[in-house]
Amino acid sequence: MSEHHITPLRTYLIIAASLLFLSGVTVWVSYIDLGSFNIVLAMFVATVKASLVAFFFMHLLWDDKKNLTMFLMSLMFFGIFVTITMLDTEFRGDLGLNPEVKDPINKRAAFYDTLPLTDTHGHPVDEHSDEHHEDKDHH
Amino acid sequence: MIKNTKQNYLNHPRGIMSWLLTVDHKRIGLMYLVSGILFFFMGGLLALVMRFELAAPGNDIISNEIYNNAYTLHGAIMIFLFIIPAIPGALGNILLPLMVGAKDVAFPRLNLASFYIYSFGALFALYTIVNGGVDTGWTFYTPYSTQSSSNVVPMTLGIFIIGFSSILTGLNFIATVHKMRIPGLTWYKLPLFVWALYGTSLVQITATPVLAITMVLLMLERFLGIGIFDPALGGDPVLYQHFFWFYSHPAVYIMILPAFGIISEIIPVHSRKKIWGYKFIAYSTLSIAFIGFLVWGHHMFTSGQSVFSQIVFSFITYFVGIPTGVKIFSWILTMYKGQVSFTPPMLYALAFLFLFTIGGLTGIFLGAVALDIHLHDTYFVVAHFHYVMQGGTIVAFLGGLHHWWPKSFGVMYNQTIANIAALGVFIGFNGTFFPQFLLGLRGMPRRYATYDEQFVELHSYSTFWSGILGISIFIAVMNLFWSFMKKNKVDPGSNPWGGMTLEWTHTSSPPHPHNFEEEPVLQHGPYDYDKVIVQKTYKK
Repeated sequence: MSEHHITPLRTYLIIAASLLFLSGVTVWVSYIDLGSFNIVLAMFVATVKASLVAFFFMHLLWDDKKNLTMFLMSLMFFGIFVTITMLDTEFRGDLGLNPEVKDPINKRAAFYDTLPLTDTHGHPVDEHSDEHHEDKDHH
Repeated sequence: MIKNTKQNYLNHPRGIMSWLLTVDHKRIGLMYLVSGILFFFMGGLLALVMRFELAAPGNDIISNEIYNNAYTLHGAIMIFLFIIPAIPGALGNILLPLMVGAKDVAFPRLNLASFYIYSFGALFALYTIVNGGVDTGWTFYTPYSTQSSSNVVPMTLGIFIIGFSSILTGLNFIATVHKMRIPGLTWYKLPLFVWALYGTSLVQITATPVLAITMVLLMLERFLGIGIFDPALGGDPVLYQHFFWFYSHPAVYIMILPAFGIISEIIPVHSRKKIWGYKFIAYSTLSIAFIGFLVWGHHMFTSGQSVFSQIVFSFITYFVGIPTGVKIFSWILTMYKGQVSFTPPMLYALAFLFLFTIGGLTGIFLGAVALDIHLHDTYFVVAHFHYVMQGGTIVAFLGGLHHWWPKSFGVMYNQTIANIAALGVFIGFNGTFFPQFLLGLRGMPRRYATYDEQFVELHSYSTFWSGILGISIFIAVMNLFWSFMKKNKVDPGSNPWGGMTLEWTHTSSPPHPHNFEEEPVLQHGPYDYDKVIVQKTYKK
């Protein structure tokens, strides 16, 4: 910080052109359907643009490295927030909540009384007794 | 070494404007202290009203609606207006520049601005109280907070504004620690209170913006009907909890880290022994600050978040126990074979060790998903966080006040009364909150104005001891206040506890308006009791 860095005009113009180009990229990718990956891509392009502004227009690149550390830390914390929150929103209701798919830990748990009765092989037992006979035949 | 001058920051310059426009960190700290203690009494009064309502089942003193307002305001005032700003704002402001040998913080005008921003935010909170209160609980969970007809908007606006004060104070402290240290005061020679404030400041500037964003999103939904958290508008109410706790869990560390710093100062000084594991304590501060950002979901185990997240959050939560344990054991080892003297600050530090350990260990119970599902929203949780917040932070704050009182104001309080009050706080606190663990285990839910007959006995114990606790804290604070009013002065060169940090060895009590007569020269580390003998000097 002790001395002022003087950036050549050429650099500014190149960065400005890149920002305009990336704005075009943002518009272009919004027409392609990538599912939930669209938002990731849009955020990525926006982050690159913001970083270019911070590094060149705001002189972060030539500044005290502590300031750069702070900038990177804020990106990291934002990343942590979004990633772990998405572990919830993307997987909500996915795991262990469907006992018909998963093996029950305690087969006698009261919870399973609400489900259709099955025998030890998972066949329903309440409607017809035929399947019971089949089972006996196997043995 | 310390010159006897009659000029100090309290009497020079004089006049009301010299206070309102001061850029002196000590005066700003004192203003934070006064406003913090006023809010503390306000929050404490609300707590006592609730406790007396709960002395017996039924609505004896206040109605259900008023009870809802009382617990919301108690929580919001205590957290946002007292605990978060109080230690960094008051003790941090007064001590940080003194401890690093600086004339002031890095940005003195910004420091004054922080205080005014805090006051401005506090006005909104006061308006909320006068205008009929708010009944959502201090967490402002959606969807209720977007529908409640109470004063959600002024209260959240107040918190939004106070958040900026917190960010600016954090920024100021970080710059001070980096840039204002005297030559020779390297990172590992900093007093641990400075490390603690540094860790706190990092959390303040990285987490608080998220609170501001959350409050803005809440208002956007309320006023513009943009669906963010309300399912009827296509939002996700659990997302609110993610936003809220991404700030509020690190905020727990904003509250407790400075308390750790205070304890790291009190214990070596009053045991006259070098601190055990300096670097471990310093780095555990930073690692708590970091891990604190990864565990917010443990507040949401019953919110319906994905099971995968539950497992991840529960797992990471246990890691907090490691750096915390490092600190607790280091403090105990510091006392081992030291000359422990039972002065008022030391009694608070010892109380802290007991109470915070109970608070921390019950936190590990609650970090286990299976157990938390049973204990969530019961008095077990209430007891747990009061053991951490009051038994930890407020007890440490009282200890710090007693420790630095002769330094900050040049007066000595009655130590016998202070010791009795400290004992009263310890016993009263346990009497109030330990029965609440049992209440919680037996299924008493939190935030209810009444309860079943089976809980009468424990609730009445809790209420009785809360009275003792309230009286003890009142006596402790009045004892300090009285010494100030009575001008029970100590000699400006006094070092009553034999402290080794710069504020004790290089400046008068109360400090010179510019902190030091000349730039201090560092002669020894902050806790070198094994190398240098520092006399306890206390003259009237």
